[in-house]
Amino acid sequence: MIGDRPAVLQIAIQAASPLALVVATYLFFAGHNQPGGGFAAGLVLGAVVALRTVAGLAQPLRPVPLLGAGAIITGLVAIIPMFFGDVLLDQAIGDVEVVVLGKVKVGTALAFDAGVTLIVVGLVVAVLEGLGAGQLGGSGTDPETRLVEERQT
Amino acid sequence: MSTLIALIIVGPLLASAIGLVCGSRQRLRDVVTVGALAGATAMAAWLLAEVERNGTVVLRVGGWDPELGVVLVADLFAALILVVALATILVVEVYAIGQRFTAWGANPQLAGPLLLVLTTGVSLAILTGDLFTLFVGFELILVSSYVLLTHQGRRGQIRAGMTYVVMNLFASTLFLFGVAYIYAATGTVNMAYLAERVPELDQGARLGIGLWFLVVFGTKAAIFPLFSWLPDSYPTAPTTITAVFAGLLTKIGVYVIIRFHTLTGMEDLGPVILVVAGVTMLVGVAGALAQGDVKRILSFHIVSQIGYMLMGLGLFSVAGVAGAVLFLVHQIPIKTVLFLVGGLIEEETGTSSLDKAGGLVATAPFVALLFALPALSLAGLPPFSGFVAKLALVDAGISEVATPIVVVSLVASIFTLLSMAKIWLGVFWGSPREDTKPAPTAAHVGGHRLMMSSTALAVAGTLVIAVLAGPLWRMSERAATDLLSPEVYVEQVLQ
Repeated sequence: MIGDRPAVLQIAIQAASPLALVVATYLFFAGHNQPGGGFAAGLVLGAVVALRTVAGLAQPLRPVPLLGAGAIITGLVAIIPMFFGDVLLDQAIGDVEVVVLGKVKVGTALAFDAGVTLIVVGLVVAVLEGLGAGQLGGSGTDPETRLVEERQT
Repeated sequence: MSTLIALIIVGPLLASAIGLVCGSRQRLRDVVTVGALAGATAMAAWLLAEVERNGTVVLRVGGWDPELGVVLVADLFAALILVVALATILVVEVYAIGQRFTAWGANPQLAGPLLLVLTTGVSLAILTGDLFTLFVGFELILVSSYVLLTHQGRRGQIRAGMTYVVMNLFASTLFLFGVAYIYAATGTVNMAYLAERVPELDQGARLGIGLWFLVVFGTKAAIFPLFSWLPDSYPTAPTTITAVFAGLLTKIGVYVIIRFHTLTGMEDLGPVILVVAGVTMLVGVAGALAQGDVKRILSFHIVSQIGYMLMGLGLFSVAGVAGAVLFLVHQIPIKTVLFLVGGLIEEETGTSSLDKAGGLVATAPFVALLFALPALSLAGLPPFSGFVAKLALVDAGISEVATPIVVVSLVASIFTLLSMAKIWLGVFWGSPREDTKPAPTAAHVGGHRLMMSSTALAVAGTLVIAVLAGPLWRMSERAATDLLSPEVYVEQVLQ
């Protein structure tokens, strides 16, 4: 049982979460040619999840579906090229017209990266659960406010 | 045919993911797990037949050139060990399904999927054609083994798990340093290029690389003096987990030592390897004699038997390396089977301690038979597979005039027999003790039958190895010839 968490921390983390999501999204797409990629994006997302858990904010993710889905996606992306007569982990690259950005080069490796991201986030959630984060639910409020709330309801 | 390699690697990984999302549908998870392992084993057998007929199969992952990308190589040595390893894991998984109804079973929701990840790691480590993918394979094996070893959270498991994790992380770190060093020295981590470039390095750098990787892989293989973590940690895990670890993890270490040190032409290290091999045999078997618990005795024997395989490599002759290959083929199933029987003993008597158990010959004669056959094979008595493998090694040693190591190996064999006799006296003879036997439950009976039949199947498998000794020896000899002439490997990978 972790002690009370200040409201400032909770609000700051709530405000920072969308920014971290933007950074994660950037890393995810930058990864093809520059530093970044699915693993780095997953780590940033995992950090968000960890921060929210420690601050006692709601954390709706469950580890097993994330891990399972991630592994299935990466596995399928790895073997699908073989049905088209290519080798394991081969990728197809095409150009896509996007409204603002214009012509964007997209590879099937992107789906593989998405799977990796899911696995990394799933692992972080699994570790948090293993450390007993589930018991933290509702412990973020300090006892006095909780008493007030209980009296009101 | 390279499709087979891809499916052997990816199949179990996909099945592991499906097993994870199965949730509480245990039956479905069992079907997926056993199906994936059986499929992988069948494909590995097909691959072996293909390699035997038409030569090495190479898969360039993603279509990249070997200089840039990952290559997976199935030569005769790799394909042979792969079949044995996958078949062994399959048997253990069936046994694990039976065992989960007893107090010693592993948590099935975790154990099934993790065993499949471990299987992928094993296949990857066996098939890989470059050092970095080898590192990835090792990490896949290790990360899943950390969880498998400690997931029940018992006191002894956590304590031994600490040693195990620290030791292996340390070895992995050394491995990475070694990869960096070898890349700095040669500009590649691809094994085919290494086979060309390492022999061109000057003597000091070459031997440095050889010794460094002997330490790295030797820690995984539990050679003297890097073995102390093994007998400490293995006996604490659930039987099925220990059986897989015992049969495979150290053997993969030996496999990699054989692969790396023959490919990079480390003949100069032969005497060092022979000394290490001899000491490993003696220290392991001496440790086994001192123990009073079935699982601990068997754990020390893992260490002792590693010495025999290193002995074959240390001779650096075709007969010696072929003996090591054959010994590997014999040792993977035999070690696993002995631990599975250890699990049966535990179930029959409620303990694996020699002092507390007793009289199993009378109460469970079939278990006694299942123990006796592989135990005699381990000690190297005819007509079992252990005899064939040891004979090959001793013969190779004599023709290389390496008398000391031959004498040491024979002495170690006698002590092996002695410690097996110790288990026999403690567990199977004497008067049965009714007080220790746990009461069977209804679900238990079906599970028990499954455990018995899978163990019996595995014992039969080890007997088949003895029967097929002739063809297996010819195959080992061909594999050894290829291993000792790296230009064959280089040509097949780079063509």
